[in-house]
Amino acid sequence: MRYHTRAVTVIFPLVVTCALILMVSSVWGQTSSGESKSAQKFSASSIQIEPTDAGDVPVPAEFRMAVYENLITQIEKTGKFQHVYRSGDKDAASAPDLVTLHTTAKSFTKGSQKKREVTTVSGSTSLILAVHITDHAGQTLVDRDVQGKVRFLGENLRATYDFSKKVANIVRESF
Amino acid sequence: MSMDDKVNLSVATNCCRGARALGAFFLVVGASLMFFSAPARGQAAPSVVQSDVKLVIGGDTIKNNSVGTLSVVGSSLQFASAKKKMEVEASSILDISTNEDSRQNITGAAHFATMAIPYGGGRVLALFSHKVDVLTTEFKDANGGYHGAVFVLPQGQAAPFKKQLVGMGAKASVPLAEPAPANK
Repeated sequence: MRYHTRAVTVIFPLVVTCALILMVSSVWGQTSSGESKSAQKFSASSIQIEPTDAGDVPVPAEFRMAVYENLITQIEKTGKFQHVYRSGDKDAASAPDLVTLHTTAKSFTKGSQKKREVTTVSGSTSLILAVHITDHAGQTLVDRDVQGKVRFLGENLRATYDFSKKVANIVRESF
Repeated sequence: MSMDDKVNLSVATNCCRGARALGAFFLVVGASLMFFSAPARGQAAPSVVQSDVKLVIGGDTIKNNSVGTLSVVGSSLQFASAKKKMEVEASSILDISTNEDSRQNITGAAHFATMAIPYGGGRVLALFSHKVDVLTTEFKDANGGYHGAVFVLPQGQAAPFKKQLVGMGAKASVPLAEPAPANK
């Protein structure tokens, strides 16, 4: 009984202290990385979205189109820009501080919805695209690789929605 | 010939003239009706039609995943859902492609309900799926803006749309696949 009470009085405070240290360090780490990410903010009133450049990666047309259309929707939702122009829009030429978003495919794995739902561990669809945002002079403002995936539930094209949501978050951090 | 005979003759010729004029009038009216109604009928009758088509993404005013009827009307591709309609002129299509995919037989709320089936019963139901065709179009709007639209059709139904639209001036980076020769 004595050993039991000793164990409680010694081990329990140790466990609590360790847990507190872990929590504080993780919160500190999050805030410091957040500061570094949001250190540089750019300003622009309009953005133009270019279609995905598949390059040598065999990305099916429906995925390229879904990425492009989802990007337009998600970037409009951020509310960071007065105008979100489609590629080739004649009105974009007169926009004074236009930035342009380019996406280039780096890898693509088409999974299977059936495999995902039956096995849970295989059949995920994943795409990695390089995201560049350039200013009017062509200078790169943002250069990141972003992954979109669907692991458990949903159709394969949902990976493009996941990708676009992540790009929208980058836009929120950067503008 | 008496004076009365002359009067009767002129009345008879006048009658003939009236009948001819009336005939000509009906001929003109009938011809014009035929002339104006023929192209109207041609525009209204779609050459390729498919119902139960899902517009996955890219219908500007139409919600994603809307189900409706896809058709080629006149020289344009038309998608009509219960409430709204979108139309893309064949000449403005920059690329059109077809692909194959598969979809689960049980979708939506029923799909979530299957997850509650014990002993992995939901997973067994996930094995049931059907093949579909995916039709992707890339096109420009009147302002030069680039658009993309993705449609999901029943299996084997995308190729007729592509063939029809390419024939009307739509561009396709991948040419239409020729049907394989039948083995005798």
